Amino acid sequence: MRIKAVLSKAGKILANVIVALFSISCIYPMIWMIYSSLKTRREFSRDIISLPAHPHFDNYINAIKTSNMIKYMGNSLYNAVISVVLVILIGFVIAYFLSRYKFKGRNLIYTYFMFGMLVPIHALLVPIFVQFKALNLYDKPYTLLFPYVAFGLPLSIFLIESYIGTIPREMEEAAFIDGSSIIRTMFTIILPMCAPVISTVAILTFFHNWNEFPFALILINEESLRTIPIGLTYFSDQYSTDYTAKMAAIVLATAPVILVYILFYKNIIKGMTAGAVKG
Amino acid sequence: MTNRLLRPKKSMFVAFLLPGLLLYSFIVAVPIFNAIRFSFYQWSGGPKKTFIGLENFIDLFKDEIFWLAFRNNVIITALCVLGQIGVAFILSSLLVSRFLKFKEFHRTVTFFPVILAPVVVGFVWTLIYNNRAGLLNWALRAMNMEGLIRPWLDDPGIILYTISVPLIWQYIGFYMIILMSAFMSIPKEIFEVAEIDGATGIRKAVYITLPLIRDTLFVTIMLCISGNMKIFDHIYAMTRGGPGNSSIVMAMYAYRNSFEMYKLGYGNAISIGILVLSLALILVTRKVMGGRSVED
Repeated sequence: MRIKAVLSKAGKILANVIVALFSISCIYPMIWMIYSSLKTRREFSRDIISLPAHPHFDNYINAIKTSNMIKYMGNSLYNAVISVVLVILIGFVIAYFLSRYKFKGRNLIYTYFMFGMLVPIHALLVPIFVQFKALNLYDKPYTLLFPYVAFGLPLSIFLIESYIGTIPREMEEAAFIDGSSIIRTMFTIILPMCAPVISTVAILTFFHNWNEFPFALILINEESLRTIPIGLTYFSDQYSTDYTAKMAAIVLATAPVILVYILFYKNIIKGMTAGAVKG
Repeated sequence: MTNRLLRPKKSMFVAFLLPGLLLYSFIVAVPIFNAIRFSFYQWSGGPKKTFIGLENFIDLFKDEIFWLAFRNNVIITALCVLGQIGVAFILSSLLVSRFLKFKEFHRTVTFFPVILAPVVVGFVWTLIYNNRAGLLNWALRAMNMEGLIRPWLDDPGIILYTISVPLIWQYIGFYMIILMSAFMSIPKEIFEVAEIDGATGIRKAVYITLPLIRDTLFVTIMLCISGNMKIFDHIYAMTRGGPGNSSIVMAMYAYRNSFEMYKLGYGNAISIGILVLSLALILVTRKVMGGRSVED
């Protein structure tokens, strides 16, 4: 009996250790990048694992000075923020009509949008490139907004539509009796009530578009319009053996995402998995 | 009564639904038709387009690199289904157990890689695999296992495994959260009865948990397959398909043909190939998994 108790205790400790090791493996690489980027190149090559003896920001200053990192981050921010606003606005309006009214083609439109979660985006890169070229939409400041908004809509509509379904209809009826128009009711009463789901959609869309790579790669050519993932690949090619510089650039590119994650991780985990199970 | 009064005019439906529908169609639906249309041409992007019928598809059918890319996609997908869902299953069954500490911390931390840009994950792992400055070789040296050191991203023999590790690593947390919520929806009484009957640990997981979360497992496998048929960013950041063609995947091959060799007609044919093969793989898996359910 005692042996059994000891064994089961050992098993519990072992389980805790295994999970802890895995957890550490998930964040250690990024922590390693962060503190190594504060070392000099020589210090890093002497010992890759030690903490910086004299932390300094030269790698960051260099990364910002020698490349257009800040410009790329600005471009990413611009694309991500504008597409978030449009995804929410367009998604909310469509979700509202799909949720509140029965009309001909309602189910068809809903299915049509949900289909977008299944389409392998990468199979569409080449034809989208051709379309953009033909219509002169290629390599413009607004180019990336098209795919970012369009591919953000399915999840946005799915999440907002099901959320509006939980809001009682009496809300609109009361507003109507008080003389509020539909548009006014929609934007001043229902939209604010959707705040929780909208914040989820906003965070997910922001992440997705800040991180987006293939569209930015094929639809943008102009250096001044590059987004951060593209800037990072050029930087990485250029500084292929300057590891600490590369790490500084990676940390710079990831910092906003880490910040948002720390602030909203609960919402993020819930939102990302909710959208996935449907898709 | 009020519902009818509340109903907006038809023009309003059109005004509110149409902009979104048009934009969405332009990016998602129209390209599918255009891909089919362009795939019948020989075209390098200039004004001259030559109609060549099915020739691109005949070439595609005989194109060894394309089938190598497809094979690589399938191997990577298989490794990821086993790795991501397998590890996620073990971790989440540990995480829902009573004796595990710091659950909230583990959940938050294992989900962290999911939010990183695939390109960033690619670069981070390029550094981990780096010969001189990498964490992996450092760890091997620290454990006196120098013999295992390899050119991780330059050895065609192991490249598919080494590029799958970052993919698996990044998304375990994602599948873990999905599986955990499935675990927690199983009524506790079932486990209690099983424990009385003497089922413990692994037996409990295999004979009770596994059958009960089948539907969720099915969803995660589908997500995993469709996610891995389109991998591109990681590969672009780590190897660009090399060394040689050893780590090429379908999306990478379409990219190379269209944007490095300017064979746009052929690139569109490859796109159709990706669409058809991904869909076929998903249908076959669905059939296979559905077939099993008839047996039980």
